[in-house]
Amino acid sequence: MNLSDKQKKIIGELFFAFLVTIIILGSFFGYWNSAPADQTCASCHEIVGSVHTFANSAHQELSCKECHGTALSNGLHSMKEKSMMVVNHFRGANTEDIRMNEYQVLEVMNNCKRCHGSEYAKWESGGHSATYERIFLDSVHNSKEQLNYDCLRCHGMFFEGTIEELVKPVSMDGPWKLTDKKRSEMHTIPCMACHMIHTDGYTMSELLTEDHYSDSARFFPTHSPGLSFYDRAEKANYPVELMSTIKLYGADTLLTVSSDGVTRNCVQCHSPNAWHEAGTSDDRIPRGVHKGLSCAACHEPHSNYERNSCATCHPAISNCNLDVTQMNTTYADKNSPNNIHFVSCTDCH
Amino acid sequence: MNSTFISRRKFIKLVALSSGSLLLLPRCSNSFNPAWRFFTAEEASLVDAIVEQIIPTDEWMGAKDAGVTNFIDKQLVTHLSRFQNKYREGLYSLAITCQELYHKKFHELPWDDQTEFLKKIENGSHNELTSIHGRYEGGRIWNGGDDRSFFRLIRDHTMAGFYGSPRHGGNRKYVSYRMIGLNYPVIQGRNKHV
Repeated sequence: MNLSDKQKKIIGELFFAFLVTIIILGSFFGYWNSAPADQTCASCHEIVGSVHTFANSAHQELSCKECHGTALSNGLHSMKEKSMMVVNHFRGANTEDIRMNEYQVLEVMNNCKRCHGSEYAKWESGGHSATYERIFLDSVHNSKEQLNYDCLRCHGMFFEGTIEELVKPVSMDGPWKLTDKKRSEMHTIPCMACHMIHTDGYTMSELLTEDHYSDSARFFPTHSPGLSFYDRAEKANYPVELMSTIKLYGADTLLTVSSDGVTRNCVQCHSPNAWHEAGTSDDRIPRGVHKGLSCAACHEPHSNYERNSCATCHPAISNCNLDVTQMNTTYADKNSPNNIHFVSCTDCH
Repeated sequence: MNSTFISRRKFIKLVALSSGSLLLLPRCSNSFNPAWRFFTAEEASLVDAIVEQIIPTDEWMGAKDAGVTNFIDKQLVTHLSRFQNKYREGLYSLAITCQELYHKKFHELPWDDQTEFLKKIENGSHNELTSIHGRYEGGRIWNGGDDRSFFRLIRDHTMAGFYGSPRHGGNRKYVSYRMIGLNYPVIQGRNKHV
């Protein structure tokens, strides 16, 4: 095919424009993904607060893209989302409260796993990795207690909708179905239900410096710095440092409860009724012979595994020549009337 | 060489320049004020001092540290934008009045003088304040008892910022919830309907 000079010129110009565009975008992309956050993400005042908080966090040595990916990580969706942020910025819309949606929260877990593989595997093996299907389509539970808005406080807390939009029917008569079948295998309690990433904390290298030695003993925090409870109503994590120790009542007596941060966090969901009566609802706060113990004294934090817990404090055979693991408690037998969390001396003697 | 085509050298120069200029994009952020959305820095200092008078620091942080100014600033460009003029004029009037009466900026006054001054504003003490009417910007100083209504406005917004949800910009670290001993986050197990 013979092209005229004019056509050749147009093709040449188009090719030139294409080349220039590729080079410019490529340069910009390369720059954006390698420059410090202060010169990139934090250029937007909507994000600067979050970046500055991150700069004091345990993850401060990572770059934004390690968790959030690049503008192209999620294909067109990312580009559309970020473009809309720019549009909204210039429209003057309130874009300060930028938050990840549920899919992004679950996606980020893959990034958590890259470095915290052990914790992730433990979480996956425990009850807290339960899926939507496991939690919301449990016919035994659903026929005893009607699903309601408050279920979402501790399960599916990142779901952006109502219980009616999640499960149908919302009644005690099944069969129950998720309105979106794709959700059935999604996890209901992701890492960020209990962990806040953008918060003050020490890096591991900081923890291993001289400053963290005290009287020849290593000083480590008793829990991870971002330990917190995701407050669905506020769409923000509530740090354990701000939580008060629950006042738990047995009859009219105020019971001894561990003030440990892990316990304060667990109690948010494994909680007694609104009057804080011991033994009601999902209360698992240790009392009786185990009063004052932290949840973390017996439970591994991510898997909740507890089968090695007795040996932590009790010798293989206790002082009275009894094997505590074989005593009549729910530790030995789930059907025992003596709940290991509440068992007291008088239950047996 | 044909004048309609650029030379290879010029092409490389242009590309380098185009790419290099992108490095300047982050500097665009300098055109924004990252600290405040509506207030000027001067106004923000004034509001800080006023709200701290309304809810002072004791064993708990006061309104200033609880981010109440941030709350008002944030709301003035969103849900409370209808009050923008009232704030702009009110803060201007308050600053002028303070300068006339004390020859100092409000936030530079001793604590007790600040309290005394705000009491006068709260009570709408026109006798003293009317003496400066008309001397500034066509008499825009406290027109028609605006001092009293402005105090009520900023007091109400201070309360909202301090006691409201942190997601609105105030109540930093849930200070008011903790101060009043609110059971928050609410700890209650399931079976609540049984």
